[in-house]
Amino acid sequence: MEEIMKGFVKYTSDPYSAIEEWKEKNQKKVIGIFPMWLPEEIAHAAGMLPVVMWRSNEAITWGYAHVPPYNCPMNKSVVDDAVKGKLKFMDGMVFLRECLQSQEVPFIIENNMPPAFEEYLYMPPIYHASNADLEFTRGELERLRKSLGEFGGEEITDEKLNESIRIYNKNRSLLRRLYDIRRKKPGIMPARDILKVVWSSMLMLKEDHNKLLEALISRLENNGYEPVKGKKVFLSGCLCIHPQVELLDMIEDLGMIPVDDDIYVGYRYFANDAEITDDPIGALTERHFIKTPVDPARGEVEVNWGKELVDKVKRLNADGIVTLMTKYCPPHLCYYPDVKTVLADAGIPEVLVEIEHEIISYEGVKTRLQSFKEMLGGV
Amino acid sequence: MGTEYKINKLDTSGVGPLVDKHWNELREAKDKGMKIAWCSGPMFIYPYATPNIASHFMAGYAAYCGGRGMADEVLEAAERFGEMRDTCSYHRLHTGMAAMIMNDWPVSNPQVILPTPDLLIGGRFCTEMSHYMEAIHRRFGMKTVTIELPSARSRDDLPRLEKFVTNQVKETLIPAIEEVSGSKFDEENMRNIFRSWKEACIIRNKCWEFFKRKPSSWTLWDYGVSIAPIFYAMGKPESLEYYQDLLKQLEERAEKNIYAVHPDGEKYRLYWDGWLPWSFLGKVIRIMIPYGAIPIAGRYPWEFFSHPDDIDPEADDIIHEWIRLIYTSPNTLSYYDGPWGGQDKIEELIETYSIDGMLFFSSKTCRMWNLGQQEIIDNIEKKYGIPGVVIDGDMIDSTMFAEDQMRTRIEALLETIDARRK
Repeated sequence: MEEIMKGFVKYTSDPYSAIEEWKEKNQKKVIGIFPMWLPEEIAHAAGMLPVVMWRSNEAITWGYAHVPPYNCPMNKSVVDDAVKGKLKFMDGMVFLRECLQSQEVPFIIENNMPPAFEEYLYMPPIYHASNADLEFTRGELERLRKSLGEFGGEEITDEKLNESIRIYNKNRSLLRRLYDIRRKKPGIMPARDILKVVWSSMLMLKEDHNKLLEALISRLENNGYEPVKGKKVFLSGCLCIHPQVELLDMIEDLGMIPVDDDIYVGYRYFANDAEITDDPIGALTERHFIKTPVDPARGEVEVNWGKELVDKVKRLNADGIVTLMTKYCPPHLCYYPDVKTVLADAGIPEVLVEIEHEIISYEGVKTRLQSFKEMLGGV
Repeated sequence: MGTEYKINKLDTSGVGPLVDKHWNELREAKDKGMKIAWCSGPMFIYPYATPNIASHFMAGYAAYCGGRGMADEVLEAAERFGEMRDTCSYHRLHTGMAAMIMNDWPVSNPQVILPTPDLLIGGRFCTEMSHYMEAIHRRFGMKTVTIELPSARSRDDLPRLEKFVTNQVKETLIPAIEEVSGSKFDEENMRNIFRSWKEACIIRNKCWEFFKRKPSSWTLWDYGVSIAPIFYAMGKPESLEYYQDLLKQLEERAEKNIYAVHPDGEKYRLYWDGWLPWSFLGKVIRIMIPYGAIPIAGRYPWEFFSHPDDIDPEADDIIHEWIRLIYTSPNTLSYYDGPWGGQDKIEELIETYSIDGMLFFSSKTCRMWNLGQQEIIDNIEKKYGIPGVVIDGDMIDSTMFAEDQMRTRIEALLETIDARRK
């Protein structure tokens, strides 16, 4: 088990070195993909390694010369890494219009560290899924396919794209299986390890990740399971970035067991497959418009995040929800009061923890979580 | 002893009655059997053109509450409802109002309460403008249409974005307006609005010429409050009348050598980036005036259709014409609003209006222009040798407005300008 985890942790403990080492060994291009909506499959089909950009574990310093402190941690982190020269191993970067803040990050990158390849996709929200939306989204994805193909020197055919979608679907399916195991056997793995498994999927070649995952799942399914005592909690939110592992440890140390989540470096990342059809770009377009899990950044009025959470908590028989809010994240900020109201009406206990790039005071967070645990029952 | 500078504002008191008339008409609309639309972003033109729909647009309401000193109470209601202060203050203003309505909370100034809408139109120019519509929808559940209006990274992107937006408007927005209004969309009415609005913009641009004069006849703040007639009274005769009066005042000032700053005009001509701080216009200019500094031009106030000659009320496709103005017309609001095109626009304003220094207002809760401001300052400083500073605050939230911080940074900017002049 420990040996398998090492394969994942190699990437999450120092993604910069691990990816650079992979690149050196495989002599392939690396493409940074800004979270959360871009289909990595297209870069994979171009024979490149797509990596989802991440929140660094280093304090923001130079980045503050470019990004105000009241901007989201993801932006601050990517800009800080870029201006420090830490992302030079990325041959290309793909950005998108996703929220107000992320849409302007490439301007700073272009001014300071322009990558050899850059693309910007105007991915639309999903309110109406009108013909206009579908046609435009399809056009954007086709544009990425064409430009990445030209950058790689080889056309990205439908066959290649379908093969990548198949590999990615397999990865998603395995991750969903891992989550199923956790739902049935709460606490079977520490939350920090689950996070590292998911996060490493965003950083590694999917084929390699699939092999490790298969080995991990086999071990989890066949090993014995000692039930873990604690209050079952659902982790919600944390758009774009991964939460600090210390925070997950704290939740568990206080006697709560995360049994499921809808965080981005979690279930949200692998929730939806793309179909294998003779029109793979069409399949990726269709996937963009899937309305669940509810994504407050994607914009939707027909489904309700609060109600979705109530259903999930009831299905899991969970005791409460820990909301992890990425600090200065407008989509989450704008939705949160309504989620809280729906949860309160349904009698579901919830606590809010803000996730900054660097959490200022773990002690403050601990007090809040301790109180929450007491609310759930048991000290 | 140094010069004692004093502000000499234009008479913009004509704005007040126009603003009151707009909001009163909205409040009385339901009694007249009309429907109500709340709009965010530049999609308000379509309900404006619909005779039996009265509409408000988000930023206008925020400027109204901010300018009249009514915002704090509503923002407090939002917080009581559960909104967090990092959330866009315009969003909080609307959800605060919604909370007051839903909970029947007492309100000291009833003017902040608007009639609840039958239709929500989100012009997703800024993505938060759509989140605010979603939030209102979750509270009241009325029909909601959102149009994605991306700002462009490159001029090359404009034609396809224009096509996308036009297709959305025709496929989802116009049918929704027709459904709510119960009548076919009135294209002729839209043309009439364009005709009248074009005339007002032409006169407005003649007023802008007086910003080129050194010393200037008026300040950006005089113009800032005068944006209202373009929106509140779009297509109405009073809009044109307002600007005709403004032009007359400016011509008189020019003839008599009367300047915006007593006794002999401004010492520093400043560019102002970002939103205008609606709740704090007086405070900000009172910081500048003792030094002889005034804001002259800004990207945001110039967004509003600076090329009226390009407005074509007789265009074959009048529904598309509005979107063309936002995308591929010379005004290209969509391009100038982002940092890429923004820099082009700022350079144009600096050259046109002989700017000495730049103030970049960075709103802590509206992050629309924040990213890229520092890069633009650096790029422009290298090209023109004009210094700039970022000042942070908020358009309407008084808890985020620190006068001393602002004063210190403005003083630093003026000292830098002085040093470079020597």
